[in-house]
Amino acid sequence: MNRNLTQALESWISQGCRSIGQIKITPRPEGGYELRHTEDYDRNDLTTYSEATDARALSFFDDANAYRPLKTAPTLRHGWVLNLPDSAALRHALDYFYPAMTALWQSHLKGELRLVPLRETLDRQTGMYAAAKRLKDDEGQELVAWHCVLEKCMKRTLWNFAPGQPLTHLAKEARTLPSGAGAPGFHEIPLICQEACNHLVPACRETVKKRERLESAESQQPPQNTAAT
Amino acid sequence: MLHKPHSALLLVGHGSTVNPDSSAPTFDHAEAILRMGIFKEVHCAFWKEEPSMRQVLHMVDSEEVYIVTNFISEGYFTKTVIPRELELDGEITRRNGRTLKYCEPVGNHSRMSELLLKRAAEIAPGVNPADTSLLIVGHGTNLNDNSAFAAKREVDRIRDMHIYGEVFNTYMEEAPLVSEWDTCTNRPNVVVVPFFIADGLHSYQDIPVLLGIEQDTGLAASQRDIFRQNPYHLRNKTLYYASAIGTEPLFAELILDQVALFDSQHADEVSLEGSTHNLSK
Repeated sequence: MNRNLTQALESWISQGCRSIGQIKITPRPEGGYELRHTEDYDRNDLTTYSEATDARALSFFDDANAYRPLKTAPTLRHGWVLNLPDSAALRHALDYFYPAMTALWQSHLKGELRLVPLRETLDRQTGMYAAAKRLKDDEGQELVAWHCVLEKCMKRTLWNFAPGQPLTHLAKEARTLPSGAGAPGFHEIPLICQEACNHLVPACRETVKKRERLESAESQQPPQNTAAT
Repeated sequence: MLHKPHSALLLVGHGSTVNPDSSAPTFDHAEAILRMGIFKEVHCAFWKEEPSMRQVLHMVDSEEVYIVTNFISEGYFTKTVIPRELELDGEITRRNGRTLKYCEPVGNHSRMSELLLKRAAEIAPGVNPADTSLLIVGHGTNLNDNSAFAAKREVDRIRDMHIYGEVFNTYMEEAPLVSEWDTCTNRPNVVVVPFFIADGLHSYQDIPVLLGIEQDTGLAASQRDIFRQNPYHLRNKTLYYASAIGTEPLFAELILDQVALFDSQHADEVSLEGSTHNLSK
């Protein structure tokens, strides 16, 4: 085992990586890095922060001060610039903005990322989420297509529905890596999804429970009176 | 003093997709421990937030990882969900060149009573404990969760110290109900300490409504401009309502103690070269 994510991050940036998700990464002439929202690239009225831990508050709320439970939703707050002294601080800050994303990309590049099919994730659930095991294939394909689109989550969904059973309803762009990702000169650290998240699994459960409630209600209805002649 | 310059510490919390403050204490304790410089790296993972337990080990460089669950009690999460999600084999898991060391949950720590007393004293300064009812409020009726048992254990310990006029457990969903705080107490002052990890949905939004100090659940703590002001004079008593016990900064010490405890319980087993510890305090 040989991992050093801080060094990997330095290497990617030296090869030209300048963004991750909605964040622009700029090496500073005096050393260190500057982070800001990509859409704030030409603004001069930004509030300046200088601690990696400032990224925590910046990542938690959107422009309307609403909670962002999904950090890879395209709702990153605007109006700030974060100056970081070194690559260790950069790593720390990016772990708040996009938790685990640089790490998963490193594992992907090293061939150490296991992609877990949705069925495997659902089948190991217990307690209140055990109901998700009873999700039907068509329900699951539709849920993934609804929840995992890039407009809601910027991660590229790399897992299959089940072994040998691809995702069929999700737009191709959302389930493939950006063209050229990982090649020298590629400017972006991709956001990738190796396994269904804690937003999709509850949605699977809800779909099953809703269907079963409907089925139960229908089975308890008295037969319709059709002999009204 | 614990010294683990080649090891990682992983704190596992519950988190929430609804309340932004649920994960805050876990992040706070992680940042505090990181600043101490004891570990090479400190990470957090959550059941309901990111990074997930399925992601977090990719974030770790170190070969030795101590895992402490920031949960108020042992139960379904610490015994079933977390070991499953982190793919643990038991207290020690060796996989892919790593050694994962699964420590006791922080809520099991014997100093929990001390922290509850500290919080109770801080929230009601100058108030005579003999004229005060201390209520430790838990969730209650949690399936497979021992939080009610742990809360009872703490109340028994504190009651035996004979500091407060009376000490009770109350719960959100089972008797004695926290909403009946005024009728179940016999002292003019009432101090209520939530036996929760975070000032999340239950302790910051639900319980204040049950106590009668808020009319509705309102916004989360971090989204409010004005914080609550103790004491509250209602129902002919003086009420003091504390933050969740898990927000106490001393929790960081308890987390480190759980790491030291793990080492002392597994002293004869393998430890990474260069990693040393001294359990004396």
